[in-house]
Amino acid sequence: MKRPKSGGSEAPRELVTSELVEACKKGDEVAWARLVEATHREVYSLCLRILRDPHDAAEATQDAYLKAWRALGSFRGEAMFTTWMYRVAANAAISKQRGRKRKRIHEVDADEEMMSQLPSTASTEALAGARIELEAVEEALKLLPDHYRAALVLRDVYGMSMDEVAKELKITETAAKVRVHRGRKKLKEMLYSDDTE
Amino acid sequence: MRCAEVKEMIPALARESQPSLAVRRHLGKCRGCQQELETYRNLIASLQTLEARAVEPPPGLAAQLIAIPRGASTVDHLRSHVTRNRAAYAGGTAAAVAVAGAAAALLWRSRDRSPQRQRRTGKGRLATA
Repeated sequence: MKRPKSGGSEAPRELVTSELVEACKKGDEVAWARLVEATHREVYSLCLRILRDPHDAAEATQDAYLKAWRALGSFRGEAMFTTWMYRVAANAAISKQRGRKRKRIHEVDADEEMMSQLPSTASTEALAGARIELEAVEEALKLLPDHYRAALVLRDVYGMSMDEVAKELKITETAAKVRVHRGRKKLKEMLYSDDTE
Repeated sequence: MRCAEVKEMIPALARESQPSLAVRRHLGKCRGCQQELETYRNLIASLQTLEARAVEPPPGLAAQLIAIPRGASTVDHLRSHVTRNRAAYAGGTAAAVAVAGAAAALLWRSRDRSPQRQRRTGKGRLATA
């Protein structure tokens, strides 16, 4: 899994030192507060990108940190703390997504409808070589069906391997590849009005 | 190779898989497929950029997260207390069940010996006869 990138001079990976994590393991609440301060925006963002709903994302973030606090002893520092924390957060968000699935049976139909209404960016040959507006990408991601969005967010936004995506989603690696593939296709269809076909 | 076949592979080619010789040959001469591949690469690059764009969490969330050790320690303390004293709790529960069972049995017997019930069942008459 990829490391969090710097959003400025205070990237979480730089702020979360092994000493800070060790202090948290010993129950140091001040260290814990610093660790939360350094990482919670990225963790909340991950949960929000998977769940879309800010309330659900906040709950998943709480679940993730509670689990992290209890499981800190098992963190051996083989991966970076932020990488480990992303996995814990992805797990919490996906559990939440499964839990609410029953309530949202009709979501896919609604999403298909919304997708067709999404104003796409101009589609020209020039656009193929240009970066798409990030706001438009965020909006388009929100309109993807849950199963495609979760796979795409974990793979392409947070850089998990296909194997990790499969484990998080509790599906086979082949199924994870299919979801990522279809998610990319749908996203591309949404963002480019005229297909180049 | 036909465009349709190559385009079906492009979302994966943009990141995971290496193109075969046949695909490379097609891409070398097909401008449409080249553009398609470029589009997917840019899309993926944009998605990768999102990671660094953190969304501001709702106010108060950080405070709740910071307070987790206090809340968790209370629950964990209770849990570990119960775990440590599992035998005592199990014994206490078994004793309570035994006392309740004995009380129920006594109540049942006393009910069985009551004069009204003896009259109803005829046991009293048989005893006096």
